[in-house]
Amino acid sequence: MAGHVLLALLPIVAVVALTQSRRLSAIIGMGLFSFLLAAVYLVMRAPDVAITEATIGAALVTAIYILAIRRTGRLTVVADEVPGLLAREADRIVGLEYDILRGFAISQGLDLSVSFVPLRRVRWLVAHGEADIGAGGIVPLTGAIDPLDATPGHLETGVYAFDARDGRPTSELAPDYDGYFSELQSKARNGLLSSSVTSLDLARVLSLSRGAPLEGLDRLDGRHGYAFLVSKDRADLKRDLVRYVESLQRSGELDAWIARHVR
Amino acid sequence: MSTQKRWIVCSVGIVAFFVVLLSITYMASMPDSADSERYLSIPIEVSGAANRVAGIYLNTRLFDTLIEILVFSVAVLGVRYYLSHSPQISLPSLSESAVVRTAAGILGPLALLLSVYFATFGHISPGGGFAAGVIAASAVLYVAIAQGMQATEARLSPQRIAAAEKGILLFLFLWILLPLAFGDAPLTELLPPGTPGKLLSAGSILPYNLLIGIKVFFGAWLIIAAFAQHRGDL
Amino acid sequence: MATIVSFVLLGIGILALVLRRDLVIKLLALGLINASSILFLVSIGNRPGGRAPIQFPGETAVLVDPLPQALVLSAIVVNFAILALALVFVMILVERYHTTDAQRIEQEMSRETDEEETPCL
Repeated sequence: MAGHVLLALLPIVAVVALTQSRRLSAIIGMGLFSFLLAAVYLVMRAPDVAITEATIGAALVTAIYILAIRRTGRLTVVADEVPGLLAREADRIVGLEYDILRGFAISQGLDLSVSFVPLRRVRWLVAHGEADIGAGGIVPLTGAIDPLDATPGHLETGVYAFDARDGRPTSELAPDYDGYFSELQSKARNGLLSSSVTSLDLARVLSLSRGAPLEGLDRLDGRHGYAFLVSKDRADLKRDLVRYVESLQRSGELDAWIARHVR
Repeated sequence: MSTQKRWIVCSVGIVAFFVVLLSITYMASMPDSADSERYLSIPIEVSGAANRVAGIYLNTRLFDTLIEILVFSVAVLGVRYYLSHSPQISLPSLSESAVVRTAAGILGPLALLLSVYFATFGHISPGGGFAAGVIAASAVLYVAIAQGMQATEARLSPQRIAAAEKGILLFLFLWILLPLAFGDAPLTELLPPGTPGKLLSAGSILPYNLLIGIKVFFGAWLIIAAFAQHRGDL
Repeated sequence: MATIVSFVLLGIGILALVLRRDLVIKLLALGLINASSILFLVSIGNRPGGRAPIQFPGETAVLVDPLPQALVLSAIVVNFAILALALVFVMILVERYHTTDAQRIEQEMSRETDEEETPCL
């Protein structure tokens, strides 16, 4: 009786396992199938076969698949959305920084997960160790931001002040803006942006201005660049990231990506 | 080909398989002949093994087992060779969760004990060399999860294990096939058959189980180590 | 009964092998086909009322046929080794083409061979 129940379960488990959309679910489903099959062999009075099937099918094959498919560890990135660098597009994420981060994650054997949060939260999350890397922001290239460390910028930019009312930028300094970029964009479209709000960086300016001439923009002082923020405790992560970005610069791939995404 | 054609081809193929296999089943359910009992599943007084399955694949069908371990060796060779061209990851792979590490450190030696039990009692109890080797490889995988891949590699260096595995393969080949050159059958009575059920019985099945267990452990561990070290871009 | 279930599993395996596009799922379906053939072999050795094939001297009970089980033991181990090798090939393919979709890999491969044949000046 028990044998018949197990035998009837076998095709069901097989079908459920092989119609999964995620690979990991399919692998675990087939591990369960192997285990059930070992029980069936036991009921059919074949103990040698049952032991061999259980150890090989359920343990070793599943272990090998998981080793091949997925590395342990995950790289958590929090970012503010910046078009051209790290932006959502339909259901994907595109951008220069996304390419850099994904290449870095692959080279480290990690999974990449990106979450979009306001800029202020980015610093808090990275400083408190809840995220590994902060992206999508600009830092002054001369000096660190306490208590975070910044990688040397991979794309130098300037900080511009932008006046949305008459489309001509001014050179007023303004406090850092925070909030999602889309909010800003909708405000600019509706003309709700007041002149004193923004000192923006190049990517956002390019996206907001949409063809307004950029000559005559006043650049504010200090060299700024897009960089990644890493907590000071993770010196090894920063070193690996810096090494990776430098290798990209050396091989010229960074320039190709910049040309593709930003300009 | 389009999905519709795929469905048709699959259905036709499956129906054909059903027909062929049902006819094979009908033919296979004919009564056993007496020759099978005499020549293949030899009685336990002749082979000395209480585990009749071991008495077949390590006594009368020894050549099958020999070629099987040869195929296993070739597969291990292939896996190591093709993966050696993939880049290696440089992360020390230690599980982040302390629960996993502690539990793995406890269960690993237990599994190793189980593997030794299966290998030595393979002729009087279910088990056998193959299961023993695979369980030992899983046990060492547990230990690697508990203490990190680097430390495990320091003790079990892949080059030496690969050499040892091929050495055992060579030894088994010579041991089994050399008597053929002198007109004899392969040695099946290193130990006396004895009374089935005792530990020191069953001819050479006990040494064969131990050797095959060690060899399969080396091979399976090499496969696991190769997978754990080279990048999976999947 | 187990024989029929093994045919059903074979059918499921073949269907999954042909209809799913992901290379890893195709490999899992191959493993399922292996398992179904082993189940078939073990099940035709099943005798009604039989006991496990461990026999101590002096027992006269009907035993399950031990011959298919002996053949199948090596088959399981060899299947595992071949599966590991196939997984390595899948990993190499994915590394080369950056996708696990079998159809896209075929398209990329045919595109590559097409480009090779056109002479470049």
